[in-house]
Amino acid sequence: MTSKRFVIKRLLLLVPVLFGVATLVFAILHLAPGDPARIIAGQRASQAQVAAVRRELGLNDPIWIQYARFLLDAAQFDFGRSYQIARGTPVREVLVDRLPVTIELALYGQFIGIVLGIPLGVLSAVKQDSLTDHLTRIGALSGISIPIFWSGPLLILLFATYLGWFPTSGRIGSTIFLPETWTLFGTELPLTGMVTVDTLLLGRFDAFVSAAHHLFLPAAVIGIYSMALLSRMMRSSMLEVVRQDYMRTARAKGQGAKITVMKHGFKNALIPVVTVIGIQFGTLLGGAVLTETVFGIGGIGTLLVSAIGATDYPLVQGTVLVFALLFTLVNLGVDVTYSYLDPRIDQ
Amino acid sequence: MATVALAVDPDRLAARARPRVRLVLGAALVGAAFGALATFGFALSSPLPAASARAFALGALAFGFGLLGWSGSVVLGRSVERVQRTLDTGTDWTEADSRRAMARIAAAGAGAMLAVAVTTTVLGALGTLDAVIALA
Repeated sequence: MTSKRFVIKRLLLLVPVLFGVATLVFAILHLAPGDPARIIAGQRASQAQVAAVRRELGLNDPIWIQYARFLLDAAQFDFGRSYQIARGTPVREVLVDRLPVTIELALYGQFIGIVLGIPLGVLSAVKQDSLTDHLTRIGALSGISIPIFWSGPLLILLFATYLGWFPTSGRIGSTIFLPETWTLFGTELPLTGMVTVDTLLLGRFDAFVSAAHHLFLPAAVIGIYSMALLSRMMRSSMLEVVRQDYMRTARAKGQGAKITVMKHGFKNALIPVVTVIGIQFGTLLGGAVLTETVFGIGGIGTLLVSAIGATDYPLVQGTVLVFALLFTLVNLGVDVTYSYLDPRIDQ
Repeated sequence: MATVALAVDPDRLAARARPRVRLVLGAALVGAAFGALATFGFALSSPLPAASARAFALGALAFGFGLLGWSGSVVLGRSVERVQRTLDTGTDWTEADSRRAMARIAAAGAGAMLAVAVTTTVLGALGTLDAVIALA
């Protein structure tokens, strides 16, 4: 059983992580060239207009005052207003709008990775040095080595352009219209922003099929990497566990090979794999940045790329901090799972 | 009312804290020297607010990196060690070493940030930088 103390300790560690990320983002943006006041006022603005914007944004204050103000605002999830991409709109609103797209993509990618990677890893370990093992290892090595910016366009070319099985971009069919709210017990609630979830909430199965059809290829692109790494990890971990004394004892007592592996080995072999799943979520979010760009999906990854290009500082800060928050929360979940699988960890 | 017995031995606590405090303070002092010098150096070629902003941002960069690295080492360090063992990567990376190194970087960054604030205030109070150069 996971102790409350362990979870509280892990929750408290979120503070320095987010504090560190916020400081890092603040520093990088202040070292980057470009004057935010000039960006907001526009290239044709007069010197007086730029000075007025500087005063309004507090850019004339000493930098440590600006830093303290930024940290205080960030602690309240107030990242200011977008300079360029969504002119004047609060960054929080822009993030709420785009975040579900990325989370949905990363979750499905992770799902594909787990569902295929773990069984393949177990199979590869159980059938060590067989043809299945060799093929799985070659597949895993290829999956880890192929970058997303190459596998993405390749899958589009093969499955979308030549075979025509999947659409090349977008999140749902262009003829499908979704309302902005759904009703639960007579109360109107906003949609979650995840199309596959929203279509199910609305009871629109045709729309769900369309959304899943659109999402499959981008999720597969992210999932390939995840699957490759997880199967490789699972194989190594399983082989290590299989050689343990307790496994030999179980076999010596007459227990079948399959039962020994699944009953005694699987849970223990899963421990390092769970860690990798958590660490990998950050990679998946990073992968989502590229995948969204390749597949033309308007998530937080595309938003970050556009915000950096347009030197939209508040949007960059907000996006990076939300990425960090997501990453740390997922790792917290992984830690809790880890301590459930291996109770010694929270001692 | 029940009393809570203090199970911590103050001597042991001091012995444990001393090397940590020394590590952080030492690094902070080095960082402070760097921060003051950087402010002064940048101020020779640009206006004081701009020089101060650049030096402070450099300090913040070190502080943020160190803090993130430190917390990352605490949160993921043991897991990473275990993963490395499983994959047999043969590296000497350990959570404890990483934590110490990152604490040093973070403390240096914090020292630099503080020194920039102090140096800028002093230089500002003295008037123009030219006066300081003349004094030197």
